Amino acid sequence: MTAGHAEVDAIDSEFEFELDHIAVEQAARRRRITAGVRRFGAYATLTLFVAIAVGPAIYLISPAFRDSVSLFAYPPEWVPSDPTLENYRFLFRNTEYVRWGINTLIYASGVTVVSLVTNTLAAYAFDRLRFPGRRVLFFVILATLMIPVAAVLAPTYLTVRTIGGWPLIGNYVDLDTFGGLILPAAVSPLGVFMMRQFIETLPDGLYEAAKLDGASDWRIFRKIVLPLLKPALVVLGIFVFMITWSSYLWPLVVATGDDHRVLTVGIQSLNGQFVTNWGVIGAASLLTIVPVTIVFLFFQRWFVQASMAGALKQ
Amino acid sequence: MTPAPTSSAEPDPSESWAELTLSPLQYRRKARRYRLRTARPALGFLAPYLTIWCTFLAFPVAWGIWLSFNTGGILGPREFVGLDNWTRGWRDTELREAVRNTSVYMVIAITVVFGLAIFLASLLNKYRRGGTFFKLALYFPLLTPPILAAMMWFFMVHFDFGILNLVLRQMGQESINYLGENPNALLTIVAVEVWRGLGFWVLFFLAGIQAVPEELLSAAKIDGAKAFRRFRKITVPTLRPLLLFALVVAIIFNAQLFDSVQVLTDGGPALGTATVVWFIFKRMFAFQDTGLAFATSVGLLIVILLATLGSFWALGKRQALEA
Repeated sequence: MTAGHAEVDAIDSEFEFELDHIAVEQAARRRRITAGVRRFGAYATLTLFVAIAVGPAIYLISPAFRDSVSLFAYPPEWVPSDPTLENYRFLFRNTEYVRWGINTLIYASGVTVVSLVTNTLAAYAFDRLRFPGRRVLFFVILATLMIPVAAVLAPTYLTVRTIGGWPLIGNYVDLDTFGGLILPAAVSPLGVFMMRQFIETLPDGLYEAAKLDGASDWRIFRKIVLPLLKPALVVLGIFVFMITWSSYLWPLVVATGDDHRVLTVGIQSLNGQFVTNWGVIGAASLLTIVPVTIVFLFFQRWFVQASMAGALKQ
Repeated sequence: MTPAPTSSAEPDPSESWAELTLSPLQYRRKARRYRLRTARPALGFLAPYLTIWCTFLAFPVAWGIWLSFNTGGILGPREFVGLDNWTRGWRDTELREAVRNTSVYMVIAITVVFGLAIFLASLLNKYRRGGTFFKLALYFPLLTPPILAAMMWFFMVHFDFGILNLVLRQMGQESINYLGENPNALLTIVAVEVWRGLGFWVLFFLAGIQAVPEELLSAAKIDGAKAFRRFRKITVPTLRPLLLFALVVAIIFNAQLFDSVQVLTDGGPALGTATVVWFIFKRMFAFQDTGLAFATSVGLLIVILLATLGSFWALGKRQALEA
């Protein structure tokens, strides 16, 4: 933008040649000062919002290493005077925190894998293969994109419960099973559209050549399309993983026992059973956010791209 | 696209002559059989997704619509009651309260978050130095699941030990009851949700603003248009389709407000933060009034679909006007 200023300044001064040099210089200086003040204001505002954005997480460090009683002390204790690991000891000994963490990993990776596989296959069929009813089917699936989880929560719950009563498959897909937890969470057609758009951009030539050589559709998909889709798969994968591991409502309803309970539901269950142990809640929250933040800092470019893709590629 | 070459690509001459003499009916039948044969590979690719989609999305939607005309179903026996659930829902004061809260929440939250996001995005667009740092830091809250975001905010707004009250007390002011009094509780929820969503919308609008052609802006500047006028006359019109799309996404997300409500207030005080999804959840799993839960779910579905269609219609009309 400074270049723009300079241009305008140059044009201005051309037209102001009648004024004496001192006046021109004064005007320029005044303009520079206002620009400086504005820039300072802008960065101050941005810094303020950054402080608000990360502040609560940074403050969390303090209660996570204090006992709950000292939280209520007045005047407030910002830096723990007597830091303790008691909250973490409680978390690992008296709650199923580790189990919840493992469950969350299984749940989120499961949904990610199922979504990636099924969505990519379907997207390939919709873009490259011809079959009767292709457009209609695609449109119907598109129409279900906007259906929110909450609006079908109850009937999906009943569906899973019903399937759970069936022989054989009921052992794998039921309330309180990973099948029942993962499969319904992987229904969103978002990935079908995202992957279809990526597949659309691949050059036709590749595909035609393989076809002429007599390769089957499956072989073309596996050997040619799939390797080219790697970046798209990473983006979609991160997006699905992030959405899934932070989801709460579905796992809350379907996985009620500790064997399949996930972190979000587990940590919320620490809140107010009898007397809420705030230090433990602080510790659990901190412990959960730190690894995600580290992963985020490593793969930040992918993350941002993924969340944008999720919104824009619809 | 050429049809897939099959192993019998070259039929012998007599057969092809015979094919020429097919009756229209026979021809149609053959053509259908050919289409089905070429469709077979597609079935393999579609089957995995379609199975999940039919079982856990299409079927539950249909079943939910059917169950909204019934009572029972989870514990007791199912019984067809016609429109009873719908009329009960219409008259239910708790549901009315929930709809009102959700609407108030949506209007405030979306206005605030869009306003702040566009403001911050235009700052980031103008002052590029340190942009990556600011973008990452603003994006950070999105990493925390809504449940944990709400938990973290307990340490900010709790009446006894929330740091906002501690600071107030140190300044000799009265503590504020952020969660236990009525307009406050909903506003606190708005604050938490805006806090979590802001970074996403900043990046979203930044991408949009950066797509505004630079030449237009500098041309307007040379013509003497002030910054606000440039923003209103050039940036806003270019952003409008994006804005409409953002509005749809925001409505769909925010109409489902539940997580932070359950953590921070559980609908209270006195239903002051009861939301539609909270209502569905309570009817379904706490009060076992499943009929009402299903009717409300279908109602929510209809509202969201209407909002989506409406805005797409508006968007399409606009594009038609511009073309």
